[in-house]
Amino acid sequence: MRAVLRWAQADLRTHRGQALTIVLASAGVTVALLMSVALLVAAAHPWQRLFTATHGAHVWMRVDPGADTAALRHLDTVTGIAGPFRTVTVTVQHGADKAAVGLRAAQSRPPSVGRPEIVSGGWLSTAGTVPAVSPGSGSTTGSGTAPLGPQAPVDIVLEQSVATALWASPGDVLTARDGDRTLQLRVAGVADTAEAHYSPGGSPGIGWAPSAFVGGLAARTHQSTLTVGLVTSDPGDTRYLVQQAVAAVGPDKVVSVSTWRDARADAEGDNHLLGLLTGIFGLGALLAAAVAATGGIGVRVRAHARDVSVLKAIGLTPLQVAGMFLIQHLLLAGAGVLAALAATEALGTRVPGPLGQALAVWRTLPSQSWALPLTALATLAVIGTGTALAGWRAARLPAIPVARTAVRGRRRLSGATRTALRLRVPPSLVLGWRAVANRPGRSAAAAARLMVPVLMISAALGTWATLDAFQHQPVRYGLAGQLTARAGADPGRVARQLAHAPGVAAARPEVELAALAPGQTETVTLRGVGTAAHPYPYAIVDGRAPTAPDEAVAGQGLFTALNVSVGQWIRLTVGSTPHILHLVGRCIETQNGGRVVSTGFDTLQDQDPTLRPSSYDLQLAPGTSPSAEQAALGAATGGTVEIHRVTDPAAGEFPPMRRVLVGLVMILALVVLAEMSTSIATVIRDHTHDLRAYRAVGLTPQQTVATMVTGNALLALAAAGVGTLLGVLVSRVLVDLEGAASGIGSGIARSPSPGVLLALVAATVALAAAACLLPALRAARTAARGVGEA
Amino acid sequence: MRFALLALLAKGPAHGYELKQALESRLGAAYPQLNIGQVYVTLTRLEKSGLIRGQDVEQAGRPNKRTYELTPAGHEAVAAWLEDASDEPRVRDEFFMKLALAGDTGLADPVGLINKQRRHYLNLMRAMSRLAGVDQPGNPFPRLLVEGAVLHLQADLDWLEKCQEELE
Amino acid sequence: MRRNGASGRDGQEAEPILLVADLVKTHRVDGSVVRAVRGVDLRVEPGEFVAVTGPSGAGKSTLLHLLGGLQRPDSGRIELDGRRVDQLGEARWAVLRRRRIGIVFQFFNLVSTLTVADNVELPGLLAGRSARQVRARREELLDELGLAGKEDSTPQDLSGGEQQRVALARALVNRPSLLLADEPTGSLDSKGTREVLGLLTRYHDQGQTIVLVTHDAGVASAADRVVSLFDGRVTDDVRFAEPPTLQGAAGAVVRLTG
Repeated sequence: MRAVLRWAQADLRTHRGQALTIVLASAGVTVALLMSVALLVAAAHPWQRLFTATHGAHVWMRVDPGADTAALRHLDTVTGIAGPFRTVTVTVQHGADKAAVGLRAAQSRPPSVGRPEIVSGGWLSTAGTVPAVSPGSGSTTGSGTAPLGPQAPVDIVLEQSVATALWASPGDVLTARDGDRTLQLRVAGVADTAEAHYSPGGSPGIGWAPSAFVGGLAARTHQSTLTVGLVTSDPGDTRYLVQQAVAAVGPDKVVSVSTWRDARADAEGDNHLLGLLTGIFGLGALLAAAVAATGGIGVRVRAHARDVSVLKAIGLTPLQVAGMFLIQHLLLAGAGVLAALAATEALGTRVPGPLGQALAVWRTLPSQSWALPLTALATLAVIGTGTALAGWRAARLPAIPVARTAVRGRRRLSGATRTALRLRVPPSLVLGWRAVANRPGRSAAAAARLMVPVLMISAALGTWATLDAFQHQPVRYGLAGQLTARAGADPGRVARQLAHAPGVAAARPEVELAALAPGQTETVTLRGVGTAAHPYPYAIVDGRAPTAPDEAVAGQGLFTALNVSVGQWIRLTVGSTPHILHLVGRCIETQNGGRVVSTGFDTLQDQDPTLRPSSYDLQLAPGTSPSAEQAALGAATGGTVEIHRVTDPAAGEFPPMRRVLVGLVMILALVVLAEMSTSIATVIRDHTHDLRAYRAVGLTPQQTVATMVTGNALLALAAAGVGTLLGVLVSRVLVDLEGAASGIGSGIARSPSPGVLLALVAATVALAAAACLLPALRAARTAARGVGEA
Repeated sequence: MRFALLALLAKGPAHGYELKQALESRLGAAYPQLNIGQVYVTLTRLEKSGLIRGQDVEQAGRPNKRTYELTPAGHEAVAAWLEDASDEPRVRDEFFMKLALAGDTGLADPVGLINKQRRHYLNLMRAMSRLAGVDQPGNPFPRLLVEGAVLHLQADLDWLEKCQEELE
Repeated sequence: MRRNGASGRDGQEAEPILLVADLVKTHRVDGSVVRAVRGVDLRVEPGEFVAVTGPSGAGKSTLLHLLGGLQRPDSGRIELDGRRVDQLGEARWAVLRRRRIGIVFQFFNLVSTLTVADNVELPGLLAGRSARQVRARREELLDELGLAGKEDSTPQDLSGGEQQRVALARALVNRPSLLLADEPTGSLDSKGTREVLGLLTRYHDQGQTIVLVTHDAGVASAADRVVSLFDGRVTDDVRFAEPPTLQGAAGAVVRLTG
């Protein structure tokens, strides 16, 4: 409608500042949301980060040596190829531990596609290309032999999960059998890749060895394969690519195929804790921003109240009024959102630090295609809803323009107020309170709008406290031992050496077995730790600790998987040995998705006398530093016993999670500020009517300012108090829910200390008071000059 | 109108008709015209009191015109008149008497009386509004007279409202 | 040419522009109940200039708001141009106001962000007329009202009297059947008052039907019919006769002695 457009144009022209603010604000909110989503996604997908960093391949194939891999290069959608690498599978041994490893031929530099990320040590050096020869041979034929020479171990690089299974670290020398010969393999480094991890009994682990060595090995054993990796431009549809690849190479030549999804599923397992929590927080931040936006828009519309009445008197229908506000704000917000999207797309990855990386990672994920427009739409929807509400309220304004509105509901001073004033309670306190209490609806709405972001900050603090508890009080989470010692071939000797160590409070034998439960296709872990004399201190949340033989506890994941409850008996089979156990309690279990049954080592040994502990779980004396103790024990045992630090699987997620929490708290703090500025504007405007009355009553200008500041501070106090308490509750519920869902078990939630909560409330109130001070001073000064009429 | 004529003569001698014209011109069309007969009678009385002195003037083909001028006593009288504060009763009102007694007589309804009187005032007010815009250059008194009338009418109407509030 | 209502020149009863029967409106303020309009009947013929007077709080403004559809009556009928309007929804009233009714307020109520020209043209554009038509009409009105040259000023730049004249132009841009004025001179000095009353009289002479609400008897007397409202009810309804002569009329009020 021409008339509506004219008014909208003129309005924008007069309030150019406000319009710009709306555009910038929605752009800011969108950018912040996109950043936080990117961080979330990247943090929740550590595997994805690794994949991007290593330029991983989407499809890995192992094919016979004669297969034609050149054809793979010409498949459409294939943008890069890793290999083909000749691969030989050998059984590698380190002391008592064995694992099958597929050694891939590698150059002096890591491959560019599917590049392994070195975790410790280094890559293969050129010196390690001399093949090792056992003394028995002497032939000089072939490319892989040398006539004489001392055996120089061949440098290899192991993938991380294989290295852990072998208890191998850089510098260790492992052995492998090659027919009748023994190969010496020196671990030059340990690396991480975005491929599926090694588990005993599954596919062979991954390792890299000099190509000459692998070539020689392959020639001798005649049992090599080619490993090829494919990078595609369409990661979403790997099935078709696999079909094509298999067809191109020849189905009879294909040994195994795996896709990136398998690798990811294998790696991720239990990253729910991070993903879900931070996802909820993201939504919550959006909600809080929405709430603030609604308030801001409401203030703007209310400032137009007079014009709206006039327009209605002239003949604008209520619908036209509401529609006009809606369109105006949607257009402005839309401009902001588009600008933010464009800026993020264009410049986002150039931002230094984790933010840029997160955006780069996010871009490679298929979820980005819908997450980006979804975020934009969500922001617009939120702003649109806020505007619609405000516009609806504007449309309901009466068509009677009133020149100077006395505030409705002016009541005389209540008896309580008068008494308080007589008792010399500071008048600013009384009047400030009265101003807030006189408009219960509006005050409650403003307090509610402030409460939402404070609630979320408090919930974030609760989550932080839980993380802290995990890290600093691991005993409460079922992680009693900080060090673990490898039992090796002679557990008894190790036990005796450890028993005399001063820093060790208890050394418990430990073994973890893969067990099958009836009706289950996947194995669960059966852990035997501690003895009747030194039982393991489980973190029991339900039931009790095991006291008698045959009693065991398990994590939430196991109860869910086997559909049993505390008090029932279960039957597990390890190989051919059955174990019948009575589940007397549920404990906090962070490994293997909670699908772990723990009982005493002696209980398991009863059923299988040949069982030997694979390691000793060392609980240190209180106050002992794990790294110091590790060095001390190494020295004490003369380096014969391997001591490793126990890393909690969940702890790897903590640093990124803490970063996400910090980012979220910052966004929420901004939202709090925005909401405060809105409510301050309203408070000042409402008080301006009263300013002259205050002066007439005899309040000094300072007291007037104090009244306004007090009113605002009281609102903030109510909002912060309620928000903080509710936030603590919310975080407990959420964390426990998440614990139960991920199999770790509920009962892990911790609340922040009362000091922290008080600090949050105090900070909010102080911020409210400080932010209100300047505008209040200005308003009081304007009124004093007598130019106070709206 | 004795003092009005004396004050006019203070400017200089004039005859009766000139005086009537001067006063009417000063007060404007809103004020009723003066009766020339009454003017002559007043002038004669003033002459008898010794405040003015008359003199006949010959006119060709017309009766003699008598021109008057102020005597020293007349000057004093004008000065004294101007100096004294005027303190006659401000309002002369018959309606209020009627209103106050109507209830007792039982012969008329007070609200009806008020309404009738209001109509009368409104009609007067309407006439005053028409006259209000007329302005003479150099002579603000006609307009001021009308504005004064308007103010008085407004006050009377307000008074009626108060009476009506009381009686309803 | 002034038309005098019921006694139409051609002897036929012209249809009344406004017919109000038994109108009732009650306000609820702070818990107490105020009966602003209690059974008001009114009939306004085309071309009449009606003034509604009464003490403050008598319900005059409320009555005007009801006539303009700015408030909804509790009961009673209102007929505008023969069509029943008292039960219309807000949106329908808004449409009606665009074309049939012009309203002038005590505090001018111009849109502060629009220029004078835009303020005046707004109802015309709302009524769906072409921009060119509306502009022509606006120029004509501003000329008649002595505001030529002020098209691009904003309300803040104008004096009270000028603003009210702009408001008048805005009310008249669509040639409404009925012009409602709520204390139009309440915020003006005597010069502004005279200007506005003179303009109202002029438009009335051209045939505009006007209903004016005021507590100032001087303003009311500019009309040719005065309805007295007292405590929400009509207590008197007087149509002025043509004054026989204005000469000496002040003498009926003031008698100069001395």
